[in-house]
Amino acid sequence: MSTASHTMVYEKKALPAKVATTGWALLILGLLLGVAAFMMDALRMQFVSIILFTFLAGIGITALFMVSIEYLAGAVWSTPIRRVFEMMSSIVLFLPLFALPVVLSMGNVFEWMSPKAATDQVLINKAPYLNQPFFLVRLAVILGIWILFYVLFTKNSRKQDETRDQSLTARNIKLSAIFIPVMGLSITALSIDFLMSLEPHWFSTIFGVNFFMGSLVAALSFITIAVILLNENGYLGKGIVRDHYYSLGFAMFAGCVFWTYTAFSQGMLIWYANMPEETPWYLHRWEDGWNVITISLLVVHFIVPLFALIQRKNKTNPARMIFMSCWLIFAHMFDLYWIVMPVHSHVAKIHGPSIGLAELAAALIAIGFIVVLFQQQTKNKNLVPVGDPKLQRGLAFRL
Amino acid sequence: MQVANRPSSQADGTPDFSVEPSVVLKNPSFHDITEVISKPIESKATLKWYIALAFSMMLLTLELVCWGLSFYYGDGLWGNNIPVAWAFPIVNFVFWIGIGHAGTLISAILFLFRQKWRNGIARFAEGMTIFAVMTAGLFPLFHTGRQWLPLYLVPYPNKHAVWVNFLSPLVWDVFAVSTYFTVSLFFWYTGLIPDFATLRDRTLGKDLVSRIRKTVYSVLSLGWRFSNRHWRHYERVYLILAGVSTPLVLSVHTIVSFDFAVSGLLGWHTTIFPPYFVAGAIFSGFAMVVTVLVFIRYIFDMQHIITVDILEKMNKIILLTGTLVGYAYGMEFFIAWYSGNAVEQFVFINRAFGPYAWAYWIMISCNVISPQMFWFRKLRRSVPVMFVTSIFVNIGMWFERYVITVTSLARDYLPSSWGWYNPTLVDFGLLLGSFGMFFTLTLLFVKFMPVVSIAEVKGVMDNARPSHHGGDH
Repeated sequence: MSTASHTMVYEKKALPAKVATTGWALLILGLLLGVAAFMMDALRMQFVSIILFTFLAGIGITALFMVSIEYLAGAVWSTPIRRVFEMMSSIVLFLPLFALPVVLSMGNVFEWMSPKAATDQVLINKAPYLNQPFFLVRLAVILGIWILFYVLFTKNSRKQDETRDQSLTARNIKLSAIFIPVMGLSITALSIDFLMSLEPHWFSTIFGVNFFMGSLVAALSFITIAVILLNENGYLGKGIVRDHYYSLGFAMFAGCVFWTYTAFSQGMLIWYANMPEETPWYLHRWEDGWNVITISLLVVHFIVPLFALIQRKNKTNPARMIFMSCWLIFAHMFDLYWIVMPVHSHVAKIHGPSIGLAELAAALIAIGFIVVLFQQQTKNKNLVPVGDPKLQRGLAFRL
Repeated sequence: MQVANRPSSQADGTPDFSVEPSVVLKNPSFHDITEVISKPIESKATLKWYIALAFSMMLLTLELVCWGLSFYYGDGLWGNNIPVAWAFPIVNFVFWIGIGHAGTLISAILFLFRQKWRNGIARFAEGMTIFAVMTAGLFPLFHTGRQWLPLYLVPYPNKHAVWVNFLSPLVWDVFAVSTYFTVSLFFWYTGLIPDFATLRDRTLGKDLVSRIRKTVYSVLSLGWRFSNRHWRHYERVYLILAGVSTPLVLSVHTIVSFDFAVSGLLGWHTTIFPPYFVAGAIFSGFAMVVTVLVFIRYIFDMQHIITVDILEKMNKIILLTGTLVGYAYGMEFFIAWYSGNAVEQFVFINRAFGPYAWAYWIMISCNVISPQMFWFRKLRRSVPVMFVTSIFVNIGMWFERYVITVTSLARDYLPSSWGWYNPTLVDFGLLLGSFGMFFTLTLLFVKFMPVVSIAEVKGVMDNARPSHHGGDH
């Protein structure tokens, strides 16, 4: 085996027009439905916009996490497909746009913003953290840091396409070492602000880790769909094989199991200790018919992926991997629905779980936006990091 | 043919990322590897080994004396009291169980992640796991107070219909730890089979000692003949055992954390405990592996097998897990403040500034601050620095369990029932003695078994690569 046999033959090809058409169609349809949903039921749409924002924010930042962990761990299997990770992480550039609807409707969705909060002793105690100016400052800092790191990582990576300079890899390794702790803290803060504080009396130390793992699985799912579709249609040159798909499936499987582990830690410990400060959060997701949703979440997000992804023959099968990726994207949306919407039911005084136009609109916007963004990103960039020193090693990767 | 190791740096000294770095240095032949690893087993024990063994057996004797006293007079010899009913025994138990986590992480999880560097250290780390779990297991057994009735820990149908309390995490511990021990032992032994066969084939003498050795190694190697079919079965079993062990790495310390976290006690009940305990366990386990490997690679001339690169990678994991533990400390504090709950807040202020503040700050400086040195490549690769840091980490992780156990129990909801804990001499004897047991077992292991996996190291050498002779294979 000489390295010559794995030399990549890569020629840049433009994506077919139907990708852009589909993406724009989904996005515009989603936006129209979103406006309609807002007219019909403004409160529901306001809550759903939290789902939309946290969904995209989590995917964008964990895609960037995948980029940085490759540099830091010296992994090679993901190098040939790293451009796809980078393109997925460009979502972070647009996060301020998606945060806007939430910021504009904060007073309606966050209990700690409501007039009632002024008379609630616990919320008075929490006011030094949970207040609007500090919330906005945190949001601006978090998004600012993410965008900064996105720009730095991708600038170096793209420059390498031309210069083939190895010191750019060394620079990105240093950047990754700084980025990972910063990301850990910032994604925790974001999840506390947007999701945990929806029920401001409740608290859980594992919450940030749980949100991170859920987002990571969803980001990997989007990446997997993109990689498989691009590669099977010849857009990634030659050399990426099913062993690479296997590794993506392996990461998705591990992510799913770890998500379940953190969810179980939280649920089981709160159930067992049975303390009045903590149990209401789960009671809101169990009573009034919500138990059906809770149990379904367990099946959708854990039991099905566990059996589907543990098998090697599924992880190396492109069609099945695409199916499981779609499944897990749905699972993550479902998880966010499970976190956010019981609060909506409570505020809107609706009995039991319900679904409206708003949820459909959000799903269409999220998927349409990612497709459009991806298509735009591929226009003038190589889909493979052709100048990366680890590229040949990555192509030679076999199980 | 001697071929120079592939260069992994460019002409100007900066790393060359396009070349996979060699795992084993100096480019030895397969035979050299067998020789180096078999040497400590086949040659006479050195004076240094005897001195080390004598010292650790002294400590072991201390442990035996203390266990004997505890057995004869009862647990009243210990400092445990009400409210601090869980003290040194549980602290030591969790500490040693934690040490035992590195082995399976290295051998199973890093195997599934296809990390080749693990092959040089997996065997030793697995052995250490077994000894650490054995050392740990004695503490809860004695803490039950009736060491002669361990059968009551096991649920079995009987005519009195007396069952264990299945709702108690202490019973889950019995299952978790014994499963972990069993699977780790099998995993370790499976890996040892080809090496036992190598040792069997190398034992040629006709004297009595050699014949005994040959018989023992023959029995242990289960008729291994290095045939292709044997290897195929072996690889399959090894993969399956790695898959089975992986959830166990998480489950054992998760359940140990449940011992604390399911209760309503302040400072024990927090949802981050399971992953935080697992991260801490890996942290302390890796530190212990580094502490001991630093000596082993030097004494047995294995610097080219257990390379500085490998130690550097371990130090990176120590930095990572140390920082994760720091994240957990931070989250506990933040959420206590965020909760707006005066009692939650008191616990953490009490930990950091109360009567046990000294223990808390030892924990913080050893666990969170000391590993931060490993941000720097020079320090990460310096053997003295990593040795000292790994000792600090071990001290810090012991104190972590002390802080969690003692500070929370000593001051709970009712100030009228607050208390204080003073360990007795027997407590200290057991703590010190447990190191004797651990190191005695470790020393016997390095003398009578291959401390590095002969077969596995050969698999990751440059010679084993199909491209080694320029694509001829």
